Amino acid sequence: MENAKEDYKIQSFDLETQKLLKTALKEPSTVDLEKVSNVIVDQSLKDQVFSKEAGRICYTIVQAEAKHNNGNVFRRNLLNRLQLEFVAREETRLRSLQEWVCFVTFICNVFDYLKVNNMPMVALVHPVFDCLLRLAQPDSLNNEEEVDCLVLQLHRIGDQLEKMNGQKMDELFYLLRDGFLLREGLSSMARLLLLEILEFRAGGWMLSDTAQKYYYSEVTD
Amino acid sequence: MNRGNLKRSNYQKRVADGSMRSNEDMDSTSDLKNSNDNHRNSIRPVSFTTPESEGPVPRCTDWESEVETDEMRSSVRCDMQRYRRRILAAEFGPRERNNSSGSSDSRDSPVPGEVMEEDEEVLMRRQKQITYGKNTLAYDRYIKEVPKHLRQPGVHPKTPNKFKKYSRRSWDQQIKLWKVKIHAWDPPAQEGSELQAIDEVDLDDVMDIELDFPELDPDSSAQTPKVSKASSSQADSYQGTPSKMMKIDTSVDLEMS
Repeated sequence: MENAKEDYKIQSFDLETQKLLKTALKEPSTVDLEKVSNVIVDQSLKDQVFSKEAGRICYTIVQAEAKHNNGNVFRRNLLNRLQLEFVAREETRLRSLQEWVCFVTFICNVFDYLKVNNMPMVALVHPVFDCLLRLAQPDSLNNEEEVDCLVLQLHRIGDQLEKMNGQKMDELFYLLRDGFLLREGLSSMARLLLLEILEFRAGGWMLSDTAQKYYYSEVTD
Repeated sequence: MNRGNLKRSNYQKRVADGSMRSNEDMDSTSDLKNSNDNHRNSIRPVSFTTPESEGPVPRCTDWESEVETDEMRSSVRCDMQRYRRRILAAEFGPRERNNSSGSSDSRDSPVPGEVMEEDEEVLMRRQKQITYGKNTLAYDRYIKEVPKHLRQPGVHPKTPNKFKKYSRRSWDQQIKLWKVKIHAWDPPAQEGSELQAIDEVDLDDVMDIELDFPELDPDSSAQTPKVSKASSSQADSYQGTPSKMMKIDTSVDLEMS
């Protein structure tokens, strides 16, 4: 059904794979769930649009499988793949910034959607922080692509992450303040993004009206 | 670069945080095989330093196991609260006993004021054993066939109550007996195979087969889709002689010769 396409952003897959995914959503026990999770992870590492919302389809499949036969084959495979990619993240970053950024986006999205008893998965907290801390390193701050990824994730899951581990969030923001103040090579875009996220967190993970206007309104000359 | 230091402090935090380490304790293979209740983990190093690492490195933990352990911990805590309420209800009015099903515990009513098992580690280990037993085709068939209100004590298997105080040995024995009883509802391995066995085989051989209960593999995940070991490969059972039958055939040959 067309809703699935829109909701889960699976347009980028070929038709056969789309069919596989749709079946997984409805009748998970009839498909090879290991294959399904690999398909989803592989695409998330390539396609930035997909990686931003892939957590959602993952959540639905996990729920469907649990309801159907109390299984967790899909989640097990997904988390195993994620863990492998996480361990290899530095090499990934060196090989392809795009893939690295997609990975971070994907793991954060999984953190956002795959809740257990309405709580985020504790197992993912440290890995997600590790990724964000990496993005806050001086060499990453020089790449707009990485800064953009960093602030996007903080907008989406910053408040949840802080609840899970406030100390780590403080640590991250020390780096961001330092980065903003001390890095000389930062582009103006990067500085803008960092300033906005600093204000965003200071405002309790939301922007005041005036700040919103400053950052997001069209400038009329 | 301070990234190396960051890594080390992360690992140390993981080690200090009990929940990250605890899935080692939940390793049911060692739990089920070990007869003593002592903390095995005290002899296994929680972390160790190798020549290549910059500092202590934790034992390998995989995310899925951590998530499963967390899930089990929440459900055990939930059960605990419910059980405590039942103890209170028993104290204040035996007539008000809650008859709703949906509790995963035994239907044993708590004795008013009795001490319940509260050690989370113990409860989680017990719950895992119960989950293994319930995650079978046999159990599924059992609960479909015999609704709770029709269960007869002694005749029908009853889930051991994880909140009651028992010694380790007593608990493990209860679980074993419970699982054996559930096997009575094992699905037949193949159409007509049981009849065949009776026709072709000596009565003694039939007794041997029935007592040879396959133990549920303790290494399998708590959440494997319901599988009875007897019919582990459905495809195989329709091609050629099932392995069980092969054993019978040879023994029959021996008898005949």
